[in-house]
Amino acid sequence: MSDLTLTNITKSFGKVEVLRGIDLTIRSGEFVSLLGASGCGKTTLLRIVAGLEGVSSGKVEIGGSDVTDLPPEKRDIAMMFQSYALLPHMSVSDNVRFPLRMRRVGNREEQDAKVKAALETVQLTHLADRAPRQLSGGQQQRVALARAIVSNPKVLLLDEPLSNLDARLREEMQVELIEIHRRIGLTTLFVTHDQDEALSLSDRVVLMNAGEIEQEASPREIYDAPATAYASSFLGAANLVPARIEGNVARLADGQTLPVSAGSPDGKATLALRQENVDFLDEGGLTATVITRVYLGSRHRYILDLAGQKISVLAPASVMLEPGAQARIGIAPDRVRILPA
Amino acid sequence: MTDRRETWLFLLPGLALLVLGFVLPITRMLVLSVQGPDGFTTDQFARFFQDGFYPSILWRTVYLSAIITAVCAVIGFPLSYIMARSGPRVRLWLVIMVILPLMTSVVVRTFGWMVLLGRNGLIASTLRDFDLVGRSFQLMHTETAILLGMVQVLLPFMVLSLLGVIVRLDPRLEEAARTMGCSFLQTMRMVVLPLAAPGLLAGSILVFTLSASSFVTPALLGGPRIEVLAGSIYKNVTQTLDWNFAAAQAVILFAGIALLLVPYLRLGRRAHG
Amino acid sequence: MVRAVPGWLRVGAWVFVALAAVFMLAPLVVVMGVSVSASQFIAFPPNGFSFRWYERALGSPAYLNAFWLSLNLAVLVTISASLLGGAAAIGLSRGGRSGGAVETFFLSPLVLPSIIFAIGLLMLWSAVFGPTSFQALWLAHTVIAIPYVIRTTLAVLAERDPFLEEAARTMGATRLKRLWFVTLPQCRPGLLAGAFFAFNISFDEAVLSLFLRNPNLTTLPVQIYGQLEFSPDPTVAAVSTLMILITIALMLILERMLGLTRFASG
Repeated sequence: MSDLTLTNITKSFGKVEVLRGIDLTIRSGEFVSLLGASGCGKTTLLRIVAGLEGVSSGKVEIGGSDVTDLPPEKRDIAMMFQSYALLPHMSVSDNVRFPLRMRRVGNREEQDAKVKAALETVQLTHLADRAPRQLSGGQQQRVALARAIVSNPKVLLLDEPLSNLDARLREEMQVELIEIHRRIGLTTLFVTHDQDEALSLSDRVVLMNAGEIEQEASPREIYDAPATAYASSFLGAANLVPARIEGNVARLADGQTLPVSAGSPDGKATLALRQENVDFLDEGGLTATVITRVYLGSRHRYILDLAGQKISVLAPASVMLEPGAQARIGIAPDRVRILPA
Repeated sequence: MTDRRETWLFLLPGLALLVLGFVLPITRMLVLSVQGPDGFTTDQFARFFQDGFYPSILWRTVYLSAIITAVCAVIGFPLSYIMARSGPRVRLWLVIMVILPLMTSVVVRTFGWMVLLGRNGLIASTLRDFDLVGRSFQLMHTETAILLGMVQVLLPFMVLSLLGVIVRLDPRLEEAARTMGCSFLQTMRMVVLPLAAPGLLAGSILVFTLSASSFVTPALLGGPRIEVLAGSIYKNVTQTLDWNFAAAQAVILFAGIALLLVPYLRLGRRAHG
Repeated sequence: MVRAVPGWLRVGAWVFVALAAVFMLAPLVVVMGVSVSASQFIAFPPNGFSFRWYERALGSPAYLNAFWLSLNLAVLVTISASLLGGAAAIGLSRGGRSGGAVETFFLSPLVLPSIIFAIGLLMLWSAVFGPTSFQALWLAHTVIAIPYVIRTTLAVLAERDPFLEEAARTMGATRLKRLWFVTLPQCRPGLLAGAFFAFNISFDEAVLSLFLRNPNLTTLPVQIYGQLEFSPDPTVAAVSTLMILITIALMLILERMLGLTRFASG
């Protein structure tokens, strides 16, 4: 277990700049998510940490020593791939033993014990002699996890390891990952495009956009207080509505006004409104036109036209409005986040 | 008309041609090999094995083919790995480099080697210029000449067999091995080579079979004194006109190839599970 | 994998590829060099430059006859192998339980050394029809060309949308219309590639042609082989160079129309 420090990492493929100066420090034992849309450079950054990709400039340090020029096999890291990358010609236990064998960790008996312990951690002891292709996707995923933790690496790298699982298995694995991380506390860098995964698993979320770090903060902070329009739209799919701030109110394009917390400078701004924070009122509030209603079981999603802007709003199943009807909506002033226009 | 019947309608003309032009001729050859003036006989086979001359030809055919196969594998594996892992442009050029010779007549390619390997050819004269060999140095009409020519003729088959398997290997497997502590060469040995084994096996079978049964290149590069089994068959068919003996030799070639391939095929099946 | 492959290995790989390229292409380059030599003797590097050996080759009835025979043969083989192989591939792609065994049978001329089949065909033909003829060569070359057509066509058919034919059915297309408007257009690239290979194989084939040859039935490769056995002179190099150029032309057309790499790794 060690710190991981990235200093001013840049990376270009030909003329395409994929990473533009990334600075990031991960404390020993911390679980950090790299969150972003596809093409934002998060996977490239992970592969640079692994040593599978070189940097154009910058420095990678693990446990205080510079590993920028070391090949992957000399970095003492472990990586879990999206496709799991289990070696098809080896049994489950040989796959898990592989990093120990290659790194010459202990003798045969010690390796056996470690393999057994790792397989116990992921509850797969009974499948030790199977071939990978005989396992289900979820089981293969656990083997990959066992193989990644067995050598007690300085840094554990996870490249969207849950994205090939169906929704229910994914939630189960999330819980399991949290528990395993709490128990053995490896320094972990986790790449994902799924905000729920990032928020529920990590100590810290690093949001990336176009090769740069957009915001890094704790899950709660980044969700409740996104620093930029991109952050607020990426996390929780907030509705962005242009407005003018005039003291304690925000004036929308069609002239309607909405009370907001004081303290923001007057002038043009963007309001970030989360869909779950919008309430349907009997009277007062803002007027919006219903465009579409989608039944979600426990509630409805409404697509509304608010001052010429399409917004998405969640409502209790009891709220029944037909397309074309006028809805009255309100948002508590402290729930309206004001971002620079 | 049912779908099933329609399917057979598509298959039938080709099947008929294959039976008439392929199965019947081979049957005819098998029959001739055991046919004497008074009906069934194994005389031709006895003649082959009693005379010391023909077993030595058989032995030369086998070991030359084994060496050719091994050399093709040793060159072919890295070459096809490089092809599989290079970008589309480089790969196209490498494919051309392999396919152009393959698609050129074996007679033409052998001619090229005759020029290169001749007494005053490029190779011999270069070696003489650097005083690496004596005045009487001769490459033509040696087993080395056959080896050089045959490897060039057969390498494409090995490369194409391997390439088909290696391009389908997930490069993430190699990356995973690297993150688990394998150096590049260890990754080749522990991951790529075992997973490419089916292609290596198929390529080796093909190269060995083709090598054991070819006579154009050995005859032209090896000369009349270094004979191989296929060349002997050709001679018996076209010069001595001893067809029954030729048929017997063809059966021996056929059986020998099958005999050597059975363990290979078993091995292959086990590798596939 | 910038970091992942050590530098010395990258350099080594380039050197290796360069050596392999020299090894693979040297015989062809040498033949082309000899063909433009001014000298009477076969020598490489060539002495001087002249096209006289091409004039000599084009004025030689033996070479010209062999060329026309080979060309006739290759064209007919291309047609027969494409028709039979294409039909067989369509039949095979429709599968059925016995499909694997039938496919193995169709491809067996690829695996079985042609010398074994050549000697059998010669014996059978002599027993039934007497001396070998053009038809014997046509049959022999068609047998070995069919597997190539089947392989390229099957490779293309394996990538197609399996529901297209059913879709055509729901749109009211009859059997023949489905074949003409759906199946055949899907086969086209594979069939075309197979046809190129069939032509190339027949035109360059030496083993079957040598076994079935007679004084009136000498293909171009057999004619070259005969010269090489006895008295090679630069005329052979000129003819060989023309054969290489035909191969290159075929390859260029194949690459332009369909892409070589696609059929190289299948």
